[in-house]
Amino acid sequence: MNDTGNAATHEETILQVKDLVVKFSLRGQVLTAIRQASLDLYQGQTLAIVGESGSGKSVFTKAFIGMNDANGWVDSGSILFEGRDLARFKTEREWLTIRGKKIAMVFQDPMTALNPLRTVGMQIQEALTLHQGLKGEEARQRTVQILDEVGISDPEARYAQYPHEFSGGMRQRVVIAIAVACNPRILICDEPTTALDVTIQAQILELIRTLQRRLGLTLIYITHDLGVVANVADRVAVMYAGEIIEYGTSEEIFYDARHPYTWALLSSLPQLGLKGQPLYSIKGTPPNLFTEIKGDAFAPRNPRALKIDFVARPPFFQVTPTHYAKTWLLDPRAPRVDPPEAILAMRAKYAGVGVGR
Amino acid sequence: MLSYTLRRLRQSVVTVFIVLTLVFLLMRLLPVEGYFGDSYDKLTEEQRQAVLAKMGLLDPWYVQLEHFYGALLHGDLGVSVVYRPDVPVNQIIAMKIPYSLRFGLAAIALSLVLGLAMGVRQARDKGRFWDKTWTWYIVLTHAVPMAVYLLFIQLYMTKILHLPMLYDRTNPISWILPTLSMALGPIGGYALWMRRYMVDELNKDYIRLARAKGMSSTAIMVRHVARNAFVPMAQYLPTSVLLTISGSIYVESLYSIPGMGGLLIDAIQRQDNPLVQALVLIFSTLGIVGLFLGDVLMAVFDPRIKLSKQGGAR
Repeated sequence: MNDTGNAATHEETILQVKDLVVKFSLRGQVLTAIRQASLDLYQGQTLAIVGESGSGKSVFTKAFIGMNDANGWVDSGSILFEGRDLARFKTEREWLTIRGKKIAMVFQDPMTALNPLRTVGMQIQEALTLHQGLKGEEARQRTVQILDEVGISDPEARYAQYPHEFSGGMRQRVVIAIAVACNPRILICDEPTTALDVTIQAQILELIRTLQRRLGLTLIYITHDLGVVANVADRVAVMYAGEIIEYGTSEEIFYDARHPYTWALLSSLPQLGLKGQPLYSIKGTPPNLFTEIKGDAFAPRNPRALKIDFVARPPFFQVTPTHYAKTWLLDPRAPRVDPPEAILAMRAKYAGVGVGR
Repeated sequence: MLSYTLRRLRQSVVTVFIVLTLVFLLMRLLPVEGYFGDSYDKLTEEQRQAVLAKMGLLDPWYVQLEHFYGALLHGDLGVSVVYRPDVPVNQIIAMKIPYSLRFGLAAIALSLVLGLAMGVRQARDKGRFWDKTWTWYIVLTHAVPMAVYLLFIQLYMTKILHLPMLYDRTNPISWILPTLSMALGPIGGYALWMRRYMVDELNKDYIRLARAKGMSSTAIMVRHVARNAFVPMAQYLPTSVLLTISGSIYVESLYSIPGMGGLLIDAIQRQDNPLVQALVLIFSTLGIVGLFLGDVLMAVFDPRIKLSKQGGAR
């Protein structure tokens, strides 16, 4: 599966986001959480959205299923899916044609994601009844089958048990089972393994991958774990301060990153740290989203920032047909700026080695 | 479950015994003048002693206690000595309970239905019109002394709606206002708690998953939120249902309903020991049974609660 880059010709776009702006009203002030983010999602592929906390990863994807809080709204831009513009959806009725049915979501913390007072079976069955119209014994049998499919042993007995009788990893399997029972086209996984311990993480990732293959799912991973990204993603979108600043295939992002923020993010991988030196961390804090951001949002934290970065917002520059980055460094007039040492060292070390998949 | 019930039963018997003995002894500490009411001054010292002896009050306290429990074991609660001299107390109580029970249950049913509905509505419209309106209602019924608004209701509602002022056993129309009056406070109480627990539930993660599943907000309210929010309230339900038999002192006196309201206070003031003891026995037993049923109800609703093991999983 390392050939995604050259398979561009027969890739089919399933969801297309253009210049999406999402705002929230908080204590009388307006916060711009998503600032003109654009993204193409391809059928059957896995996209990872990375970025630090508060960069808007969750808000961005929640906008696809209308799950942002009531004080938030899509200000402009479009989300095209199956010929409809989800950005224009207003009523719950419209969203119910998408939510779960077409686009499902798995959340971070499986410990609290299930209703503690209803059996695991009933909670999966609810989705089956809702989206596949199954009822009674038929629904029960299908639920047991799904439990089995997500790797829960003794599914007949587990069907009638309550969430507190399941471990964290098992509960996440149930949450995934619920998402799968909806039979969606796109599955959004919002940090699905963050709350789990490492050995379980790998199992859950493997499970999601298996289900993706079997059901032809398109996946969106939201994560700040670059290890997970390297493991699962075909494409990576890097978010910063509410916009997607670099977008490309896994290889392109890991080995040919162009945006200074992506460099900084990769440099902070502990694996890239040089022996005897303190781990790299990005200085400063993300910009205040209540105020209008001028120029490149990352410029104030970027030691290599150009003058223009503080004045004008960079457009998307194309690096390859699959790789885009929003940085003035890609402008033909820009001076040559080399990535940090850690990035160069990594490139040298892994030259010619594909990203693990 | 059975061993749990038995253990609870054992504890309950001990508790009732302690409460009853304590009240029994406290009654014996009251000054003896209280037993005579207005006639105290008219009686000679010998006559007084004779009355006290007849009531068995001259025996040492442990002998009195022994007599009391001895009779109790045979199902004999004794006869009233002051309130209605020589009438068996269980007869007095049995006459009054049906009135209080009938009004109490009607009021509880009314307040549950209206209160829960109100609470659900408030939680759904949190911060908006209905929530604010009902919050006003709750604050009013809880902050203004009951005596004030119940009196107003009796005075004006009867006038405006041409309803009878006093309770009449044969006229169902006269039952409306007392029932309503008794329900007004609890409606607000149930609404308050239901709203609170529902808002709690609405903010939980599983609601987010239920939404992501594609359930409509109405379905989520009905199938997940309302049910879960009711569980913590279920615990107190049996106690409040059982204790309706103690009646409402104010409403019953307002509408002249011959119920239990105020009977215990009356009996204590007039030092009718057998009547006090019988009432304490009944109320404390019902209270304990109510708590037990509440725990059972909780365990029925919440699978995480197990009644079998000591301490249990909570």
